[in-house]
Amino acid sequence: MDKQELMQRLKDEIIKQLKLEGTKPESIGDHDPLFVEGLGLDSIDALELIVLLQQEYKIKLNNAEQGQEVFRSVSTMADFILEHQAKQV
Amino acid sequence: MSRIIKMGVAAAMEALKDAELPMPDAIVTGTAYGCLADTDAFLTRMVEFNEELLSPTSFIQSTHNTVGAQIALMLHCHHYNNTYVHRGSSFEAAVLDAQSLIEEGEAENILVGSVDEIIENSHTIISRFGIYKESESNKLLNSGTNGTMAGEGATFFVFSKNKETGSIAKLEDIKTYYKTNRKAENIIHNFLMENNVRVDNIDLIILGNNGDAKTDEHYNTVAQHLFGGKRLVGYKNYCGEYPTSSAFALWMAARMIEHGKKINDETSPKKILIYNNYKLKYPSLYLLSAC
Repeated sequence: MDKQELMQRLKDEIIKQLKLEGTKPESIGDHDPLFVEGLGLDSIDALELIVLLQQEYKIKLNNAEQGQEVFRSVSTMADFILEHQAKQV
Repeated sequence: MSRIIKMGVAAAMEALKDAELPMPDAIVTGTAYGCLADTDAFLTRMVEFNEELLSPTSFIQSTHNTVGAQIALMLHCHHYNNTYVHRGSSFEAAVLDAQSLIEEGEAENILVGSVDEIIENSHTIISRFGIYKESESNKLLNSGTNGTMAGEGATFFVFSKNKETGSIAKLEDIKTYYKTNRKAENIIHNFLMENNVRVDNIDLIILGNNGDAKTDEHYNTVAQHLFGGKRLVGYKNYCGEYPTSSAFALWMAARMIEHGKKINDETSPKKILIYNNYKLKYPSLYLLSAC
């Protein structure tokens, strides 16, 4: 899966996991900030994203500070997942 | 936001809008089952993922006080907020608390309500007890067969200390019991005596019979012995049976008083008595009058 496909999938999964009713995948920009601005997610949503990574991509975040970087945008999430998958090969 | 939260929030906002009240002094809610859909999602996930990878949102929203909390969040209301979970008397507990707050001068305008929902799993489980009718009936209250109709609902009111411009009715009194040995006729008779009201003074009696032949006999006895079978209406043909359905009856009574709804071509009701006895364990009484 290339980055573009992964980002599309992530947008669908974020909407489903966070129950963002009324939000369409195309309205989430690849580089839009997920927290505060942009989607306006909060700390509970951050926990949901951690669960999403673990459940769908078998990736466990080792520390909370890592989350700030990883969950900055859909693009950074995709980079993190692809990097992790490359290491697994 | 799950369905029950939307139902509760919508009902609460309607009540506040009708009362032209931007901010209540307190929010008191009653629910028997709470947010079932989120509880179901959380527990299912717990089993499927072997107690790992649990969704925090489902957990948070599965708690019984979610609806009251969500209303407060939307209103930015930091005042008293309580939710009562007492099975068939959950709404009554909320009303009694609101009444106490007003009488003790703690609050003047209170948002009081109840929520309960049906979900697929709860319906399946409750159906196993034979509580619901197996075949459809468009004459629920006179079906003569066992079982009732599943119900759910969200009902909110604004209780005020003083009569306001938009006030639609006065709650004269409320009383609730749990597994009492006393006869229903005695309970109702005493309730009316305490309020200095004779049976003849009541324009309409709303009864909680639900079409289940096993429990309707109880209501039929009350209807015949105490009220002579007159001035009686049911309400569960509109909302079904659920633990906090008396809130719907209270809403219906208030609206009948407000709109002067005529029953059987008789005069518009000015004084209404509600008697519900959920599962014949939780008798509750409300006396409502025009204000």
